[in-house]
Amino acid sequence: MNRTDKQSEWDWQITNNTRWWQLDLREVWTYRNLLARLVRRDFLLSYQQTLLGPVWTLLQPLLTVFTYVLVFSKLVGISTGTVPPVLFYLTGTILWGLFNDVFTGTSTTFTTNADLFSKVYFPRLVMPFAFVSAQLMRLLVQLALLAAFLIFYSFRTDVTIHLNAWAFALPGILIVVALLGLAGGLIFSVITAKYRDLMNVVPILMRIMMYVTPVIYPMDIIPVKVRWILAINPMTPMFELFRYGLLGEGTFTSAQLVYSLVCTVACLLVGLFLFNKQKDALMDIL
Amino acid sequence: MTKLAIQVDNISKLYQLGTIGTGSFKRDLHRWWSTSVRNQDDPFGLNSTVENESQASHIWALRKVNLDVVEGDVWGIVGGNGSGKSTLLKVISRIIRPTHGTVRGRGRLSSMLEVGTGFHQDLSGRENIYLSGYVLGMKRHEIRRRFDEIVEFSGIGQFVDTPVKRYSSGMYVRLAFAVAAHLDSDILIVDEVLAVGDAEFQKKCLAKMQEFTRTEGRTILFVSHNMQAVSQLCKHILWLKKGQVVASGPIQSILNQYSNQSQTNQLSQVWQTPEEAPGNHWIRLKSVELVPQKETENALVDVRTPLTLKFNFWVCQDELRLLMGFQLMNQTGECVFDIMTPFTDCKRGLVEATCEIPGNFLNDGSYSISLIAYRNSWEDYFDYQNCLSFDVEDFRGDGMNFTGKWWGSVRPKFPLTLMHKPENQPLSLSL
Repeated sequence: MNRTDKQSEWDWQITNNTRWWQLDLREVWTYRNLLARLVRRDFLLSYQQTLLGPVWTLLQPLLTVFTYVLVFSKLVGISTGTVPPVLFYLTGTILWGLFNDVFTGTSTTFTTNADLFSKVYFPRLVMPFAFVSAQLMRLLVQLALLAAFLIFYSFRTDVTIHLNAWAFALPGILIVVALLGLAGGLIFSVITAKYRDLMNVVPILMRIMMYVTPVIYPMDIIPVKVRWILAINPMTPMFELFRYGLLGEGTFTSAQLVYSLVCTVACLLVGLFLFNKQKDALMDIL
Repeated sequence: MTKLAIQVDNISKLYQLGTIGTGSFKRDLHRWWSTSVRNQDDPFGLNSTVENESQASHIWALRKVNLDVVEGDVWGIVGGNGSGKSTLLKVISRIIRPTHGTVRGRGRLSSMLEVGTGFHQDLSGRENIYLSGYVLGMKRHEIRRRFDEIVEFSGIGQFVDTPVKRYSSGMYVRLAFAVAAHLDSDILIVDEVLAVGDAEFQKKCLAKMQEFTRTEGRTILFVSHNMQAVSQLCKHILWLKKGQVVASGPIQSILNQYSNQSQTNQLSQVWQTPEEAPGNHWIRLKSVELVPQKETENALVDVRTPLTLKFNFWVCQDELRLLMGFQLMNQTGECVFDIMTPFTDCKRGLVEATCEIPGNFLNDGSYSISLIAYRNSWEDYFDYQNCLSFDVEDFRGDGMNFTGKWWGSVRPKFPLTLMHKPENQPLSLSL
């Protein structure tokens, strides 16, 4: 039979190679309903057989902040400037929590979904995207908590909250931090799929990252000599900007912001293309 | 001109064997160094020097498979374990990439490679219908439109808002199949999903599958071990063996050939001299064979076929009081029956034993036979386990539309009759 007959208009075609640049985001878009369902699934599951359910979304940062205030503010005595320690640590914890959860959660995309991936095709990127979306939903609840605290402190006379125009950058900051986490998670999802033991590296890496990001200390208590370590971290300006916009205290330059954005775009592209290139090859070893 | 729905063009799939993980990083580095930096051949690739198959580090799960599927055709994909059936379905479903070759297709494709794809134990039936539907590629309006139908087909009724982990396994399977059965895709890929569920539900599934093809003209690729299902459903068969196509085409030409081949029978064993034969100082086996009394040469051993077991042995003592027997085991290792002779006085020389197993007695399945011999009133014994093995195929005859597995260890045809009994009083009750 003539195998190259006039059947030119095929709807789809499967070949042996996955091209680096064949990032079909339009296809991901057609699966947006699935993405929404997965977000919903995450939310529903947080209710199942729990005592407090979604309340943990609020309790987690609150308890963390409580510990930080106790340890770093009361015991160690790190100065948070004119900002009340509770607000200082709450902003840091919420923003860091976003990065940490997105990175850690998406870094196991292949290993946690191996069963599903080996049984049905859908754009694999839906999974990490759904995870990021679910985390952003959680974040909205946490931001409400932060707003409540801000309002509470603004009524106190001994504290002045310098809310300013930079607060409008807030959605941008959150997206940049989430995308940085996603970029790292995508890269690590490929690595952990191939070498499972490297999953142990993720928590350690997260801890190191946290200490080189101004989460539990303000930028200006760091000696100038070692500030470059924080400066090369693209997260640093985001944290400083976040605090500056909401609390009026933080140091950053516009060059740092540009650097941070460029880094985010670059990391995200690397993550997306690496994920996209490896997703099919990884199916053979999952 | 008939339009093709799927064209499988020269597909090959290579798998790496052995442990992936420990040592693979070193190998990855080595490979990267050779292929990318020094521009050499892959040291672990296809052209590596390892020729011996048992030492090879790779295996071809599929090799140069071609298949043209015309729109509306139903293809059965058959073959033994490890023949590459599932790999082929996964390649066509886009789950894994082929090593070589191209698959082209037209229309939306959905695959059911397991029961309950995308299901989550903790979520309700309702949530899972949506989740699974979306995972399988359904659109929102399709699920909405079909939702009631799905619930009705699965028969879960009021449990639709109960978490599926509280379902019985039967309910779970029914719901999972129901979602997949209501996919509105042009091409459907099914992998032995019918092997689950009770007989009644299997029948329902099969009917649904037939409805798919007959009334809606969809293309189906169907993998199954259930020959009855394949022959009822499919018009074409692709037969794979060790990743290669043995035959493909219309069902009539292939089904018999396949069934003959796939029977992994060892129907006889013969030893030329007592020295090499199994046995001991008082008995040696010469031959053991099972002779099916088939009507034609190519006919299969099915439930109707009478079988004759014959075995010859050398008695190596001048005088021997001997009891011979054999056991017939089914595939789970259970003994179906155990038959033996009474103790008999034998002289040195050759002895033959025969036993006839009538037709219409054994159920379909795989069986093996073990021999045993006792001497001098249970003083000593010799046994030879699993010396023969054979398959009995199913046969239902005309007018028997039931397709589930026939129950029972044996399937005798004892006469069972119905007859009218004249009664003095006419039946006044009308039901």
